[in-house]
Amino acid sequence: MTWNEFIWFALPAMLLWISAGVLVYTRLKRSVVDGIMLAGIGVFVAFMVGFWIGLERPPLRTMGETRLWYSLFLSVIGFLTYKRWKYNWLLSFSSLMACVFVCINIFKPEIHSKNLMPALQSIWFVPHVTSYILSYAMLGAATIASFIQIRKQGRGLADQQLYHLMDNLVYAGFGFLMLGLLMGCVWAKEAWGHYWSWDPKETWAFVTAAAYLMYIHMRLRKWHPTFTLWLLPIAFILLMITWIGVNYLPSAQGSVHTYS
Amino acid sequence: MEENKRSMWQFPWRYPESIAFVLGVLVVGYVLQAFIGSFDFSLLLWPVNGILGGVVILLSLLLALKRKNPIVQWLSGVPMAVSLIGGLLLLGLLMGLTPQVKHIHHGDTSPASVLGLRQMTTSWPFVLLYFFTLLSLGTLIMRRLFHFRIADYAFYLNHIGLWLLLFAAGWGAADMKRYVMHIREGEVEWRVYNDRGDVLELPVGIRLNDFTMEEYPPQLTVIDRETGNAQPESKPDYLQLEELPVSGRLAHWDIEVEQYIHQAIRNSDSTYHEVFMPGASPAALVKTVDRTNGEISRGWISCGNRAQLYMTLPLTNEYMLVMTQPEPKRFVSDINIYTEDGTEAHALLAVNKPHRAGPWMLYQYGYDYEAGKLSSYTSIELVYDPWVVAVYIGIILLAAGSACMLWIGNRRKEATDDVE
Ligand code: HEM
Repeated sequence: MTWNEFIWFALPAMLLWISAGVLVYTRLKRSVVDGIMLAGIGVFVAFMVGFWIGLERPPLRTMGETRLWYSLFLSVIGFLTYKRWKYNWLLSFSSLMACVFVCINIFKPEIHSKNLMPALQSIWFVPHVTSYILSYAMLGAATIASFIQIRKQGRGLADQQLYHLMDNLVYAGFGFLMLGLLMGCVWAKEAWGHYWSWDPKETWAFVTAAAYLMYIHMRLRKWHPTFTLWLLPIAFILLMITWIGVNYLPSAQGSVHTYS
Repeated sequence: MEENKRSMWQFPWRYPESIAFVLGVLVVGYVLQAFIGSFDFSLLLWPVNGILGGVVILLSLLLALKRKNPIVQWLSGVPMAVSLIGGLLLLGLLMGLTPQVKHIHHGDTSPASVLGLRQMTTSWPFVLLYFFTLLSLGTLIMRRLFHFRIADYAFYLNHIGLWLLLFAAGWGAADMKRYVMHIREGEVEWRVYNDRGDVLELPVGIRLNDFTMEEYPPQLTVIDRETGNAQPESKPDYLQLEELPVSGRLAHWDIEVEQYIHQAIRNSDSTYHEVFMPGASPAALVKTVDRTNGEISRGWISCGNRAQLYMTLPLTNEYMLVMTQPEPKRFVSDINIYTEDGTEAHALLAVNKPHRAGPWMLYQYGYDYEAGKLSSYTSIELVYDPWVVAVYIGIILLAAGSACMLWIGNRRKEATDDVE
């Protein structure tokens, strides 16, 4: 199988994923929604297996191939976390994200051959980046929830249910953030000889993790609730700086992590 | 709102006291930094780090034995944890905004240098905060281990994992050695350079048998013959060469690649043929059509290298078609490793494929970038890091803890009011 056949698998897979993401809001039986989602994943896996055989090597080399894994992991992990936490939007969101990466592969095929520099050619590349994508999604959702809670808090009635949702999102998001970070450490040791070099990107990742840790620990006691809530938007700004902003900071010129 | 009436330093201590403590540590740190300069990690060389590390563990244990003491509870409690993490966050922010340097020149008296902002990880405030975090976390872990509950496994995994990681990375920093060795093809080298450029001799010798590189196919682009800038200047177009057919548009020319040879040598008549040898370079036979007037050009182009001239295809008086330098896909050093006791080993070293030789890890580090695949030498980094096993165990525990967090979430329904 080659990229030429991709479209015949990608379209049905996307259709199934999006259907699951929409039908989850209806009164349709949960098992049917699950079945649709899994069918989508099945179609996608079928292509990847065939493609792998066709290439005679694991499809891990080009950006296009890497995106296949993003789509797969996003749909699978999104489905699992949805099953675990029962938040419908989690399924819709991860389906949508999975489709975005499929679409890039369909509409920007010339990027298939984007050359992967040697340091990026590692089995850690895909899980490291997907883990971060999932964590950004959850922490982003937690930030939105925090704004709602700040308003409710301002009116003097914090919503315990919402707190529960926020904390779960932060815990899950932070879990993925740390997994991404730790995989990055192992990878860095393999590629550059040290697991942590305080490169600007790493420094900002440290700062971001510290901010979420402050939130997690402050939530263990009920002192200073307003400050605690504001930690989430602040942490999310730090997260955005780590992800996108670092490339523009003067302190980061020459960082090993800026791939432009 | 009873708590607000409580005056400071009256037990139980909470945020005001913890924040005051962390600020105090920072002030002491900056005074030390200003007067005696950066913390000297070489003072911690083994066995000093081992002994001091043991002292920290012992201290945590003694404190945890006094766990009913309000100061111990405060030191290992939530407000202190948040304040310490907040302090580290603050220093991390300063570090993230100030370009960090390896060495500060003598006589550099700018405030950022004097206060250690440009070398944050060896500055006193950072080192002191690290120390108290380790102590607080250690005491907390011991305290919780005294009433061990299997249900707290996520707590143990996260905190013990992080503690071990911090402990081994921090104390181990002094023992870590990193050197770079440059080896010419066919020669054996024993000398290495440290990050100051001093030459040292190691009990490890390396012979470079062969350095090879695979390259990605290069790209085509149209450049201005005067300035050399790729066109259109606002957003240059590039056409990636790959398996034929390749065609596309660059600026206002339609490009069709008729032939592509990844390893080519020029013939006397300026055509190319395939030869597999180090001096070969990519070459392509290209046909272009100017969309504005239909003018056709056709010819061979090549990016060349040290062994062969490049070749371009003129399009007009102003513009020509060129091939970019290929990017490396993989580079491999075929080496033999010798130790003083006479053992010998063979290895193929590549990026992401390090090799262990006794206590040393060998990493493919670099080569002669200008010569590219014709590089006559390779650069290898040698890393000695005896604490790395402890770091890996910490990473594994912490990763398990993270997995627990994303699976279990927050089990507490509501925040509790007080410690214990
Ligand atoms: C990756 C790092 C960390 C994670 C994921 C983490 C996570 C957690 C979680 C989930 C809890 C509540 C669980 C429970 O009480 O059973 C907790 C409690 C706590 N953590 Fe952490 N933590 C981390 C680092 C730290 C650090 C660096 C400190 C101290 C400097 C710290 C101090 C505390 C304290 C004092 C408690 C409360 C314990 C108690 O009430 O007995 N944690 N942490």
